[in-house]
Amino acid sequence: MIVSMAVVGPANSPLFIHTISPEEDPLNFHYIIHCALDVLDERLNTKSKTPGGNDPNLGLIYPTEDYRVYGYVTNTKVKFFIIVDEIETKMSDIREIFRRFHLAYVDAVSNPFHLQGHALASKSFEARVRSLAAIRL
Amino acid sequence: MKPSRGTGTMNFAPVEKINSELFTLTYGSMVRQLLVDNEDNVEAVNTQLEKMGYNIGVRLIDEFLAKTSTTRCSDFRETAEVVAKVGLKMFLGVQATVANWNADGTECSLILEDNPIVDFVELPEQYQSLSYSSMLCGVFRGALEMVNMKVESWFVQDTLKGDEVNEIRLRLLEVVQDEYPFKDDE
Repeated sequence: MIVSMAVVGPANSPLFIHTISPEEDPLNFHYIIHCALDVLDERLNTKSKTPGGNDPNLGLIYPTEDYRVYGYVTNTKVKFFIIVDEIETKMSDIREIFRRFHLAYVDAVSNPFHLQGHALASKSFEARVRSLAAIRL
Repeated sequence: MKPSRGTGTMNFAPVEKINSELFTLTYGSMVRQLLVDNEDNVEAVNTQLEKMGYNIGVRLIDEFLAKTSTTRCSDFRETAEVVAKVGLKMFLGVQATVANWNADGTECSLILEDNPIVDFVELPEQYQSLSYSSMLCGVFRGALEMVNMKVESWFVQDTLKGDEVNEIRLRLLEVVQDEYPFKDDE
């Protein structure tokens, strides 16, 4: 089950963090994403050697004791994170969710009133992410 | 419909197209720039947008008349139909329905199911009174003024403000009499 989805900007500023489970402290997920950022940055720097198409999916980047964090980086260095709490998750499902997440993000950013670098304030984006997060993996 | 008019779809097909996203994003950034230039004075921006629409309409009517072989409309009802079905289809790619006529036949509503210029747009709190698509109202005003009809148009319902459809009210103020000694009908 997805417990959190987040978008982090190119300057590593959080643009959008959505957490599902009410019993868990949402701040916990902020910490996890923060740590995942470091891992992702490291992954990015080592991967920059490889020529040929960069796959935006970085796959599992940060397994903690309760959760697993999946990462996805666009060519504009916008990072998407999905945190799940199950052991068995299919990569193809995660890929599909990232793809839709990315599309929703693009629509939200196309809003002429959205200021680049600021947090995403779009209600419809939130609604779409919520429905994405509700998908059973 | 008179056979000389042709349908909106027929006229829409051979016209050059651009990507609607490009158009939407251009309009959006123009509105943003207007807001910045007018220091967030929403009323001033509304007036500006309408004026810009007016200037566009004044020029657009000639293209419209050239591309479609529209004959002179006998009354305002017909005008509204032509604007909604042929004009909007040809230039925006969407058709509107005409409804809510008043008793005199001088006021009507154009109902647009979807408005391509507001794709992706969400109005933030401080701009809730912004008439984002008021350029469209200006276009109607400008175009119809060139065919001797003074109209007023404004948005009654706006999907940006949470309504189901977009409704533009069109009111005929007066028909300016032709001064030309020859008829427009060829």
